[in-house]
Amino acid sequence: MFKVSDLHYSYPKGKADVINGISFEIDKGEIFGFLGPSGAGKSTTQKILIKILGDYRGHITYNGKNITEYNDEFYEEIGVSFEMPIHFSKMTAMENIEFFLKLYKNNANIEELMKRVGLWEDKDKMVGEYSKGMKIRLNIVRAMLNNPKMLFMDEPTNGLDPMNAMILKDMIREFRANGGTVFITSHIMADIDQLCDRVAFIVEGEIIEMDTPRNLKIKYGKRSMFLEYKENGKTIGVEFPLDGIGQNKEFLNLLQTKEVETLHSGETTLEDIFIQVTGVGLKNGQ
Amino acid sequence: MANRLWVLVKGELNRLNKYNMTSVSVLVALIWGVILFFLDAELLNLLLPLVLMMDATMMAIMYVGSVMFFEKSESTISTMLVTPVSNSELLLSKLIANTFHNMFASALIIIVFVIFKDVQLNYLLIALAIFIATAFHTTAGIILAYFQKDFTGMLVNIMIFMFILAIPSFLFTFGVISGDAWEIVLLFNPVQAAQEIISGGFTGYEHGFKYYFSLGYLSIGGILGYIFYALPKFQDYAVKQSGV
Repeated sequence: MFKVSDLHYSYPKGKADVINGISFEIDKGEIFGFLGPSGAGKSTTQKILIKILGDYRGHITYNGKNITEYNDEFYEEIGVSFEMPIHFSKMTAMENIEFFLKLYKNNANIEELMKRVGLWEDKDKMVGEYSKGMKIRLNIVRAMLNNPKMLFMDEPTNGLDPMNAMILKDMIREFRANGGTVFITSHIMADIDQLCDRVAFIVEGEIIEMDTPRNLKIKYGKRSMFLEYKENGKTIGVEFPLDGIGQNKEFLNLLQTKEVETLHSGETTLEDIFIQVTGVGLKNGQ
Repeated sequence: MANRLWVLVKGELNRLNKYNMTSVSVLVALIWGVILFFLDAELLNLLLPLVLMMDATMMAIMYVGSVMFFEKSESTISTMLVTPVSNSELLLSKLIANTFHNMFASALIIIVFVIFKDVQLNYLLIALAIFIATAFHTTAGIILAYFQKDFTGMLVNIMIFMFILAIPSFLFTFGVISGDAWEIVLLFNPVQAAQEIISGGFTGYEHGFKYYFSLGYLSIGGILGYIFYALPKFQDYAVKQSGV
């Protein structure tokens, strides 16, 4: 759906490129996570993809056509959820939504969306009276009010309580199930892990890793099993290599004869991978 | 496009109302109305064009500066940039809405004096003059807003505008400064030009070179300023507001 080739970008007053030749594709119906530390180039990349920033070098196509060739029809097809609240605070939520609705040809069922994010009851309240979480939920409604084919979400669950974060994640999954494509930037690794089909790690304007969360966990995880068992009132931990674990007599013996307390594979978390991949050590090849 | 522009203009007018700009402009018009109401005819004839000029110049800059300050503080420009609306539609809607909103306040002042003080006006010329002066200064206000970082910055802009452009014009009107040299220099002062064309809407004014020069200067200057500065720089401004 989106194809980015050899993208470079430098700010008008900056000398060096902040995006250094990145290339990636986002397939239709995919949830693509874009991860990296602050200042790595995530938001800049997103702003280039949604055509807020121009003057980049490289090639970006959307549905096979250069994004520079699109006019207003591009924005009919995408929805953008910003990290910060972006509403007129002295207008009600409904007044905000109705204003934006009139700017699009396609209109979603607002009542359904507002009910889904739990704002229908408060639709006639001034946005200035909303809590931060409510404003973020209204951002989601704003992003989806034109029935977009592609969603860009910047830290979508930041500021949401666990229940509302779960509702939002369900909405994103449903959006994908209905054929939608999603580009997410986030630093909340658990969300990325739960949602994304593929992730890319960007550091100092370069993509240094890109794969499915599962493959990354296998790649960066330790191929081992760690077993803890109880003996004489003490907990003892033993690590075994994962390869040939089914034939490892010591491991099988412990399973059969001891009171096993815990058993873990050496699979790592996306958070550990984030720290490892975006850390200086890996970048220096250490 | 026309339909979308209309939606944007209505939205801008609605926000001017919601953010209390309409109340403020009606209040200012009322204050001027009360002050002028108690003046004698001679002083009224001198001050009424001046008040209308201030409304069409300084107040126009202040209102559009405030609107853009609110937009900045609420980051709403970010979400406007990702709608099918073009930059020219966005900016034109601001210009149209703020111009007509400001004209509404001027109309209130005029109506009061036409009814109660029997002020003689050429309605077409006064409407044209206020429209051109307001549109020019709204464009100027938009350009100044590109450089304002916060509310204080906006006030500083207004003060600079006052000292450089408005005060010389007042001094000339009250005869504190005079002479041919000042007359020529002030021809290029947009505030003085606004006063000239607004005065041209009152009965008894002789429409000479200064009137037509001022009319042409504000009309052409406004259009050129909009096309060659306000519009091309809008994208940079909007992108900066979105956090870049």
